[in-house]
Amino acid sequence: MANPTENLDANPPIRKPEAEEEVEELNGDEEEEDYEGEDDDTGSKSQTREGGSSVDRIKAESLFRRMRAAPVPVRVHDVIVSGNEKTKDHIIEAEVDAVREATTLQELLEAARVANSNLRALDIFDSVNITLDSGPPELPGTTNVVIEVVESKSPLTGQIGAYTRAEARSSSVEASLKYKNIFGYGDIWDGSIVYGCDNSAEVGLGMYLPRFRGLSTPFTSRLFLSTQDWLKFSSYKERSLGLSLGLLSSKYHELVYTIAWRNLIDPSQAASASIRRQLGHSLLSALKYTFKFDQRNSNLRPTNGYAFISTSQIGGLAPDSRSLRFLKQEIDLRYAVPFGFYNAALNFGVSGGVAFPWGSRYQNRPSSVPERFFLGGNSSPVCSLGGPSALWGFKTRGVGPSEPKRKGDSERDFVGGDAAMTAFADLSFDLPVRWLKERGIHGHVFACAGNMAKLSDIQNFTAPKFLETFRTSVGAGIVLPTSLFRMELNYCHILKKQEHDQARSGVFVTFSASS
Amino acid sequence: MEGDQETEVYTLVARKPSFDLPTACPNCLPAYIYLKLAQLPFELAFNSTFPDSDELPYFESGTYVAYNNEDGGVIEKLKKDGIVNLDSQLQSLPEYLSLKALIVSWLEEALTYEIWVGTEGISTTKIYYSDLPWVISKVLFYKQTYLAKNRLGITKENAEQREKQIYKRASEAYEALSTRLGEQKFLFEDRPSSLDAFLLSHILFIIQALPVTSVLRCKLLEHSNLVRYAEKLKSEFLEASSSSPSPPLHSFPSSFPRKSSKPKSKPKVEKTEEEKKFKKRARFFLAAQFLAVVIYVSVMGGGSSEELEYEDEDD
Repeated sequence: MANPTENLDANPPIRKPEAEEEVEELNGDEEEEDYEGEDDDTGSKSQTREGGSSVDRIKAESLFRRMRAAPVPVRVHDVIVSGNEKTKDHIIEAEVDAVREATTLQELLEAARVANSNLRALDIFDSVNITLDSGPPELPGTTNVVIEVVESKSPLTGQIGAYTRAEARSSSVEASLKYKNIFGYGDIWDGSIVYGCDNSAEVGLGMYLPRFRGLSTPFTSRLFLSTQDWLKFSSYKERSLGLSLGLLSSKYHELVYTIAWRNLIDPSQAASASIRRQLGHSLLSALKYTFKFDQRNSNLRPTNGYAFISTSQIGGLAPDSRSLRFLKQEIDLRYAVPFGFYNAALNFGVSGGVAFPWGSRYQNRPSSVPERFFLGGNSSPVCSLGGPSALWGFKTRGVGPSEPKRKGDSERDFVGGDAAMTAFADLSFDLPVRWLKERGIHGHVFACAGNMAKLSDIQNFTAPKFLETFRTSVGAGIVLPTSLFRMELNYCHILKKQEHDQARSGVFVTFSASS
Repeated sequence: MEGDQETEVYTLVARKPSFDLPTACPNCLPAYIYLKLAQLPFELAFNSTFPDSDELPYFESGTYVAYNNEDGGVIEKLKKDGIVNLDSQLQSLPEYLSLKALIVSWLEEALTYEIWVGTEGISTTKIYYSDLPWVISKVLFYKQTYLAKNRLGITKENAEQREKQIYKRASEAYEALSTRLGEQKFLFEDRPSSLDAFLLSHILFIIQALPVTSVLRCKLLEHSNLVRYAEKLKSEFLEASSSSPSPPLHSFPSSFPRKSSKPKSKPKVEKTEEEKKFKKRARFFLAAQFLAVVIYVSVMGGGSSEELEYEDEDD
């Protein structure tokens, strides 16, 4: 589900005229008492005073000089909230805690700006105004913070967008209907339909709460019914009915708990032996923790910075020992080095992951197929963050261990690996044509490598053999960033592949949404 | 095709064993018994997460797979594909067809009814849901009960009438089969056929997996020659590989620990030794007692005979 904070502007417009006016009001309190009466008369409600008077301008200038020289002490006396009929006061006040604690004017202005953007991010108001007024006349050096909100008239909104969902590891188109703020807690309810590029479809009902019982992180929950069709690649279809709860969601950390009834079926009845063994029902009760540290300057075209993502998943958290038990760990490292000319940058990336079952007799049990790693597809490694998944030049699920399908079918099933690793290097540069440069269309040259292993073969596993069987490809292409996604038109040449891999040298088109 | 299959291993994938049956599912057991009657060596693998699938049991050999929902069932498909055919000369006989119709329709209906409706699914937990979490197994149980009732054409209005009809037909079928079988080893002369597999599976399942209170089970037990037939075939074909004779079928509780034949002879030998020891000790004891009495009487007896008489009179 799209988090409302994703639509947030990095820098919401700072209200300069009001800032001047605020400054003038405060100034009135602190400086000569001659002007106090006048300020009181003009009232704390005036927002439309035009700074025409030269006296006011002189006062403002002197205050700015003071602010530049040293912190101007001030104390917040009261926070007044108005305009909220449905929304509970404490929801709004909770976003302005930092404002209360400001001790100087500079801090106050900054805190007010942050509070403004936080309130807009709740996505339940049509407009948010924060004004700093003079405090009561008997208390000099104080100010009142007045928050005026206008709640959305039509709480029902529809939205269509392209996103990348971490679980699906691919881009998807989502159409959703949102109903905002039914109970006044800043709650957003949505019903959505999602179609993924990996033949998946999902219908879901979600609920988002900005604050849950005093915790400062938002709480999301989603009831979903999803199907994923892997018949062509692995001869099974996956159907899930479940509930996922976003327990913690902050800048760096995310914790999600999912409980789902999963069913693997094979309507084609052509599956290979190991897929056949996995068909059936299972209960998935898993906790997923993601640590994300992304200091790159852009998701779609990173030219500077680095990123690190670690995803850990543990399944089988149910009192019933018959639920699906597995452990999965994925790591992703990215680094971008800028060069001076042509806006060029070299992007490096390494990702690896391992998944295995736990519980009684875990050494003899195969891992569950949907939890395994699959490499290949039509998304770009530069954008797909969160574990090994994409390789230029290789088809969807076209790499790795495979088994022959049922007799009569010449295709093979790709059954996935328990451990996977990919690496890539991508040099991007602007094209010399100005028309293309303006639109952000640029070129790139790349190389990538990837490999997978099965844990059941661990006795035969040796590092040299693993390195020897790495699949590699190189290529060059043009990147067209659009508002929804990043499209690449590449020519790939496969340097090394293994028997049965689905790869070809040629022209490919990849789509990636920013993660 | 048969050539390269001989080098491959044959595997039958069925539901898990329970109730002392190699596979507790009534749809999987006929295939298992058929392969055993044909004396085809195969391995047994289990799928315990798909109770509502009609693909199980399936037979695989390399990349060849015979699913149960194709071509009329696993057994039919194995016959058709030339893997194992026990009915090669019997299929033209008119009796074969009529017996087959009896077993495959009336008896199978009765069994389905008894499992899901008659005994209210008591046995289904062990057969189908032992490896699934409680929530999933409950939902699937309701789903499968509903589907079974649909298949049998049972509605609220005709439930009683349909039950009577099913049981009546089952009784008639048992009667007919019992008469046809007599004391023969197999239904058709001396050779096993697929109908023996179906009938044997039916009888074994009813006796071992259904509770003692089951109406169908009582009806079946009235025909002792059917029970004997099942016992004989079971001990000859199903337990030939494992050295474990089980106790008589009609006194069989739902789960019974198996003892192998070798250890059984040992206790007998031990028992006789113990008996000897016991008897020896008993003799010693009696001898000692006798001696004590004799000594007592001889040492004390002369002096106190009057007192003894006096005591006796008092008594």
